[in-house]
Amino acid sequence: MFPSFGNKADTKTTSYKVVLPFYAYAALSFLVATVLLFLASGNMGSHYFTPHNLAIVHIMALGWGTMMILGASHQLVPVMIEGKLYSETLAYLSFAFAAIGIPILAYGFYVLDLRIYTQWASLSIVLSLLLYFVNVAMSMVKSKHENVHAYFVVTAILWLLTTAIVGVFILYSFTYPLLPRTSLAYLPLHAHLGIVGWFLLMVMGVGSRLIPMFLISKYSNNRQLWFIYGFVNGGLLAFVFIFFLNWSHEWLFLPLLSVAAAIALFAHFCYHSYKARIRKKVDEQMKVSLLSVLMMALPMLFLVIIIAGLIASKSEHIELTISYGFVIFFGWITAIILGMTFKTLPFIIWNRTYHHLAGKGKTPNPKDLFDEKIFKWMGMLYIAGFVLFTVAVLMGVLLLLQIAAALLVLSSVLYNWNILKLFTHKSQMR
Amino acid sequence: MTNVISNNNLKCTVALAALQDVMDPEIGLNIVDLGLIYQVDFDEEEKIVYCTMTLTTQFCPMGESITSAATESLKLSFPEYEVNVELTFDPPWSHELISEAGREFLNER
Repeated sequence: MFPSFGNKADTKTTSYKVVLPFYAYAALSFLVATVLLFLASGNMGSHYFTPHNLAIVHIMALGWGTMMILGASHQLVPVMIEGKLYSETLAYLSFAFAAIGIPILAYGFYVLDLRIYTQWASLSIVLSLLLYFVNVAMSMVKSKHENVHAYFVVTAILWLLTTAIVGVFILYSFTYPLLPRTSLAYLPLHAHLGIVGWFLLMVMGVGSRLIPMFLISKYSNNRQLWFIYGFVNGGLLAFVFIFFLNWSHEWLFLPLLSVAAAIALFAHFCYHSYKARIRKKVDEQMKVSLLSVLMMALPMLFLVIIIAGLIASKSEHIELTISYGFVIFFGWITAIILGMTFKTLPFIIWNRTYHHLAGKGKTPNPKDLFDEKIFKWMGMLYIAGFVLFTVAVLMGVLLLLQIAAALLVLSSVLYNWNILKLFTHKSQMR
Repeated sequence: MTNVISNNNLKCTVALAALQDVMDPEIGLNIVDLGLIYQVDFDEEEKIVYCTMTLTTQFCPMGESITSAATESLKLSFPEYEVNVELTFDPPWSHELISEAGREFLNER
């Protein structure tokens, strides 16, 4: 007579208290990074290994990109692996170690003081990432559900740890002779382990779960996702071998083709998810997120030109390398975060404010908790700043660089404005 | 209206009408047309309403709010009954469970 369906389900999600500090930290980091970019825009024609560039890149990669992914993933990993987060305490500790380590590390780079406190900061970040890995891995072990998305996530975290450990070695090698080659020689390895292994794999794993979910799409193709997983990891492993075996630059096209194939397949996956969607109207946040998938193609294009240049002239074109880094951190990674923040954070804030009031009266919609007009302005300023900055670096026009950087500062101010609006939202129970 | 199982079709209609006030905040569609309600049974001796429902995804961050709202909504319609809302993911939700009205709504949006 009574409930004839399967077992009762456990659905306890991660507390908002765990997630919100990561979002706040990431938002402030974005603001700081754009301000530093504006201040350092005069140095963009010099080598990429400058104190200011190093500080900006690490604030963007760790403070902005990684902290945001860590925060969101503490909430989303349970959705992806169909199991509870193993420990909220580990999540708090992970936040604390990263939150302390990142600004000290960035400051160390900014003033080019790579001695003891910068070294300890790097270890603090590694410890934070290690705790994050343990938390996610234990969550997976406990959940007993296996799916392709979970493999993307856990492999991405392993690459992130590897990136951080290589970074620590590079940092220490400025003081102690730890590495057989010069520290600078390891920068491409450090950068690509992080960009491809961590960011690309993580974004693809989470995106392939969330994009069809938000669009309510009928499309699913696990086989295709496994191919993507194989191409990304295969390409990255090939790059590592080529690096350590010191093979010639021509070989770099092999990992490039492998990762390009993965990106093409992922774009194909997103396109078919979009075409097979039941929910016809696509909101602005999803549009920005889908745009970021297309923006993955831009770094690949730059990389083809950079490798071709290396083969042809045996020298590196600094403007191209700086543009390549810029279109990754301020382009693709930033675009997906700008979109996904307002696809996830309003729901977290809504839950914080109205969870105990659900069903007891009229509550506002989560999407009404932030200012959509400000969001649109933020998006327009961001796109204008991004395009202009990329062009300005390639052309080497200082005034254009400063205008573009100012647009990005304004965009980050508007982003933070909306974040503040969300964080300070009070109940408007009608 | 939907494929909801019940031991009392008349009361189930009242219950579903009440549950249509509960929205999935992300999608903007009510949980009945979204196909989240599987079963509504009535224990007349003990005066208990049993509602078995699902979510579009397990560990959905909005899950607790949706089930709380469903409970409150049923309490309002059946004040003399105790309400017991349970979640199941067996079978899991799929887009095929969305009603015709729900599909029309999503097509328009």
